[in-house]
Amino acid sequence: MIRVKRLNGVEFYLNSELIEQVEATPDTVITLTTGNNIVVQESVDEVVRRVIDYRRRVYEERQAAIVDLAKRNG
Amino acid sequence: MDLATIAGILVGGLMVFITVFHAEGLKGFAPFLNAEAFFIVMGGTFCALLVNYPAGQVLGLFRVLKKVMSSNVIDTQEIVTTFVKFAKKARTDGFLSLQDEVKSTKDDYLKRGVQLVIDGADKEFIQNMMETELGFIRERHKIGQEIFNSLGTYAPAFGIIGTILGMILMMTSLDDVAQVPRRMALALSAAFFGLGSGYLLFLPMAGKLRRRSEEELLIKEIVIRGVLLLQTGVAPSLMESNLKAYLDPSTRNLIRTNTAGD
Repeated sequence: MIRVKRLNGVEFYLNSELIEQVEATPDTVITLTTGNNIVVQESVDEVVRRVIDYRRRVYEERQAAIVDLAKRNG
Repeated sequence: MDLATIAGILVGGLMVFITVFHAEGLKGFAPFLNAEAFFIVMGGTFCALLVNYPAGQVLGLFRVLKKVMSSNVIDTQEIVTTFVKFAKKARTDGFLSLQDEVKSTKDDYLKRGVQLVIDGADKEFIQNMMETELGFIRERHKIGQEIFNSLGTYAPAFGIIGTILGMILMMTSLDDVAQVPRRMALALSAAFFGLGSGYLLFLPMAGKLRRRSEEELLIKEIVIRGVLLLQTGVAPSLMESNLKAYLDPSTRNLIRTNTAGD
């Protein structure tokens, strides 16, 4: 989930797994696989960066948990 | 002013007038100048309407009547041109730049739709809201059509009722045989008023309302499509070709927007 801000300033979390495409029109329009379109204030690059950061974090935490488990089980 | 409606009614009435005049001259009108026939047909029809529909809707009849008489001023070309202009502006300066343009928009439905885009609502929300409103507008239009349809159904029936009433009254006073043809003509004039108003006035008007409703709803469909396309940040040329699909070829050619090469 990534945090984004609508045009009217309302912040919310978006399920990044649903993102089909992100386009600059010039406002950033995120098209979801559900067919819905969401317009956000962040730039296209910023949205992509946040998705990558989110996935990296999830992966890192997963890795940490696996390493932790391996250590404990010898 | 809808000339077709007015012309239709006037010419129709004129035809009847000419028919009677040609057949019998001015004295042919005598049986028609009949207050009782008028009362039973108009009074009965209207009262049946009151029984059928809530009072509020019946009183709204006159507003609906105005709609039948006035011609449609909504310009499809203007709507398409407006959306192309908005698309162009949104592409260069973003959605927020549309705020000033929206303030000077005349069409209320369009204004609210574009305002939703500026406020950053997502597509599903916008679509939901606009389509729900469209559905309710359609329902309200249906009521007006239904009322005129009912009028067109009741009027002929009450015309017949008037005739029957007249015949009953005539039968009870058969002592003056010389009066029978005259009374018969009076009775039959009720049927004439009933059927005439039903089929020359009310049912055609119901039909006209239906057509007007369809025109208006088409405009609103175009607006919804335009708003949703606007929100995706579509190119102005694509907006134009997409919306033109709703129009007939002659109207399409009338639209002059400078979108070549966008």
